[in-house]
Amino acid sequence: MKQHLLALVAAVGLVVGGATAQAADTVKIGLMAPLTGSWASEGQGMKKIVELLAEQQNAKGGVLGKKIVVVTEDDGGDPRTASLAAQRLTTQGVVAVVGTYGSSVTEASQAIYDEVKLPQIANGSTAIRLTEKGFKHFFRTAPRDDEQGRMAAQTIGKLGFKKVAILHDNTSYAKGLADEAHALLKSQGAEVVFFDALTPGERDYTAILTKLKGANPDVVLFTGYYPEAGLLLRQKKDMNWQVPFLGGDATNNVDLVKIAGKEAAEGFYFLSPPQPQDLDTPDAATFLADYQKKYNELPPSIWAVLAGDGFRVMVTGIAGAKSTDGDKIAGYLHKDLKNYPGLSGPISFDAKGDREGEVYRVYKVDAEGGFVLQKL
Amino acid sequence: MKHGKLFAVVLAAALLATAPLFLNAYQVDVLNSIGLYGLLALGLNLILGEAGLFNMGHAAFYAVGAYTAAILNTRYQIPILWTLPLSGLVAGVFALVVARPVVHLRGDYLLIVTIGVGEIVRIALVNDLFGMTGGANGIFGISRPNLFGIVIRRPQEFFYLIWGCVALTIFLFLRLKQSRFGRALNYLREDEVAAEGSGINTAYYKLAAFGLGAAWAGMAGTLFAAKMTIISPESFNFWESVVLFMIVILGGAGNIVGVLLAAFLVIGLPELFREFASARMLVFGLVMVVMMVFRPQGLLPAGGGRFLPATLVRGRG
Amino acid sequence: MEEFLQQLTNGLAVGGIYALIALGYTMVYGVLKLINFAHGDLFTYGAYLGLTLLTSLALTDRLGFALGMLVLVLMVMGLVAVLGAILERAAYRPLRESPRLSAVVSALGASIFLQNALMLLYGARFQVYPNILPATTLNLFGLYLPLMRVLIVLASVLMMAALYLFIQKTRIGAAIRAAAIDQGAARLMGIDVNRVILLVFLMGPALGGTAGLMVGLYYGQINFTMGWVYGMKAFTAAILGGIGNIPGAMVGGLLLGVIEALGAAYISIAWKDAIAFLVLILILIVRPTGLLGERVADKI
Repeated sequence: MKQHLLALVAAVGLVVGGATAQAADTVKIGLMAPLTGSWASEGQGMKKIVELLAEQQNAKGGVLGKKIVVVTEDDGGDPRTASLAAQRLTTQGVVAVVGTYGSSVTEASQAIYDEVKLPQIANGSTAIRLTEKGFKHFFRTAPRDDEQGRMAAQTIGKLGFKKVAILHDNTSYAKGLADEAHALLKSQGAEVVFFDALTPGERDYTAILTKLKGANPDVVLFTGYYPEAGLLLRQKKDMNWQVPFLGGDATNNVDLVKIAGKEAAEGFYFLSPPQPQDLDTPDAATFLADYQKKYNELPPSIWAVLAGDGFRVMVTGIAGAKSTDGDKIAGYLHKDLKNYPGLSGPISFDAKGDREGEVYRVYKVDAEGGFVLQKL
Repeated sequence: MKHGKLFAVVLAAALLATAPLFLNAYQVDVLNSIGLYGLLALGLNLILGEAGLFNMGHAAFYAVGAYTAAILNTRYQIPILWTLPLSGLVAGVFALVVARPVVHLRGDYLLIVTIGVGEIVRIALVNDLFGMTGGANGIFGISRPNLFGIVIRRPQEFFYLIWGCVALTIFLFLRLKQSRFGRALNYLREDEVAAEGSGINTAYYKLAAFGLGAAWAGMAGTLFAAKMTIISPESFNFWESVVLFMIVILGGAGNIVGVLLAAFLVIGLPELFREFASARMLVFGLVMVVMMVFRPQGLLPAGGGRFLPATLVRGRG
Repeated sequence: MEEFLQQLTNGLAVGGIYALIALGYTMVYGVLKLINFAHGDLFTYGAYLGLTLLTSLALTDRLGFALGMLVLVLMVMGLVAVLGAILERAAYRPLRESPRLSAVVSALGASIFLQNALMLLYGARFQVYPNILPATTLNLFGLYLPLMRVLIVLASVLMMAALYLFIQKTRIGAAIRAAAIDQGAARLMGIDVNRVILLVFLMGPALGGTAGLMVGLYYGQINFTMGWVYGMKAFTAAILGGIGNIPGAMVGGLLLGVIEALGAAYISIAWKDAIAFLVLILILIVRPTGLLGERVADKI
């Protein structure tokens, strides 16, 4: 038995990973995504999209005349696992990394990539501070929370609501957005009558809705994620409470309407970068058709699509820099990439690695459960 | 047998000490993770393994230590390694205060209370207690440790820091195990009534085990904060406590080598199973069940497997 | 006052579900002294199986609403019960003579396995029940009471009462009680303890699975991790009432739901779970074996 144990430990200690030989005729691009854990649905969507795009790029001849290989690592949606996933990617000969979803998860990996000069492009991480640390190789296709906060306050102003209730879910992202919007709303003279957090992952939010109703707001700004947003809408309708809801970009997910039901979801406003189907570029239309053909479903959310954009940007960066050198790719993305036609709209980066330009749009759910772009 | 065992230990230690020479950064970082969990599990082993107190909230003490270190470092610019004794002390005292009113609860009631303490701590951190913990964002910008002028940054450097601490811990805890204190704890675990009858102050020893185990978790928290340079509440959730609980029981509650072995398996296997992508945790769950079924006393049972720890046997607890 | 009553009913509906799941924890604990951490996942399986059966068999279309629902509930109960029995056989029976905590670790492993198996089978995305329940809302003295919430509480209480009577009044129930007190003595009295344990692992999961189905039908949205949240709450409820005690699980479940709702309403929503745990700890300090648990002499 002892020998077995020893062998097992040796196996774990030494075989982990097993350094893979670097083949010279391929270009490896890493994808770090939550394939397990609470955000597995986002991560699996990211993987599907990036794999589809890689396949298509390879059919067109790959990049620098070489085939692209996507190396996917699971970050589990958790910082510690992410730091291991990042270490692992750095040892597998990837030249660039796409991902990941959660801000704190991305943050745990940033320094690891930067130290070995691997360009990283996050797709779902909107926390402001990620690009405030001076990392030269970090980019993101996702917009920042402060921009969204501005948009939320602006939208509430334009829609003419005076008494606002703000509900977040105490995640880093939702709390940041709620704080951002809170400060702006106050400065523009709106009254914030409620500010609190729900616990994500539960099913029954009637206690919170009852309390919210007692505060009697004109509009509820919910900055959390779509599963809770769907339940809130559904239970609000059951209560016969007619108040309008405005959601942040994490509510942009096709499952929102399924969870809430069409009737309850109708009239729900949310902020989001434009969806692929609202872009008139031929690229987006073809991508959507191809995705549906291959996987027989819609992409789960805009965040997964932004991972696809991240992948395309990296490929363009490698092609543009004519090199797989991290500094050169990052340099190209900072300086030479201007208005690249991404699936989610034109992409350029500023010196910090943030996406330039106004990205957010306002959407409203119609009676059929469709997401309709609003002109405000 | 005796020689074989010694040889195995020496071989394992030698292999480990030279590991960074032939492993890549990722593999070394996996070993770092294992070492960190090993430290935490050795602390929990005092409480759960040696004294037999059901604690499924160890992440709470880990969190208290990590946050103490992070706050002292980022607000008062105290070098991170200097905070080590203080974060251990804060975590230990916190454990004493929390455990005092509940330490007499029967096994499973204590289990839920410790789970509750873990959750309360996590919720307090998320809600930015005293405006010091940074809420869900946590605390970032923790400085790198500096040991005798060497800035510890790369996984290989952390490896020697973390495993140095593990080695020191093993030495101290082996001494402790053979001391009057260690024997009292074992006695307590085997038969509380008899222990009390023999003049052992059970409340004192239970609390001491809690305090010491928690202090170790607090110090491990400092190392974690130093390594990650950012800490947030999600690193200290219920799942972490569950993982530590599994390590101690799988190792064979009360056996230091067994606990370290189990840390290798519980932290190492999910990494080994990365080949399975989305199915890796499925395989991991299955392996846990199979290992328990085939090694019900743990990998290396305390007391060499000759005696069943009486209070842990079903039906008598 | 009106808001208080409203919050009270909100809490009761949530608590009814907790109580149903808590029964599974408490029954297994009563006989085996094992905390079955995989019980929460059996609850999730109830929800997923219910969805699959509902959409693939179209029972309510073929048999009418009431009869179709009844058949659906019975099928889910049966299937989850079988799952519970398999779990017992595979993960717990080999550990019956082992240290107690080994079985707990096996349960945790089984929970991870079950959860991830579900993710691989159905995908990680949220699954959504078709909305087939009548959306009637009763308005009683200004309180909003959706019919379904009232029915959830009624159904839970009914099932719990039936279980209680079964345990107290039948011969099999007496065997379960005997095995819970002393397995060795029960065996000497001619009770087949293995069958009692099997029975407990059929009944507990059946009730848990039904709770899963009810959550799916009413809340509409299910996902593979929901068993952790509900399971932990239900386990807390079982301890609160005194684990091993069946009326205790009912009281504990309903009480926990109410504490959560009132805590959210009058103290803080964000601190709700911390408040619930704090109340639990305070209750345990005063009553070390829960509200209705057996008294054991304190040793300290």
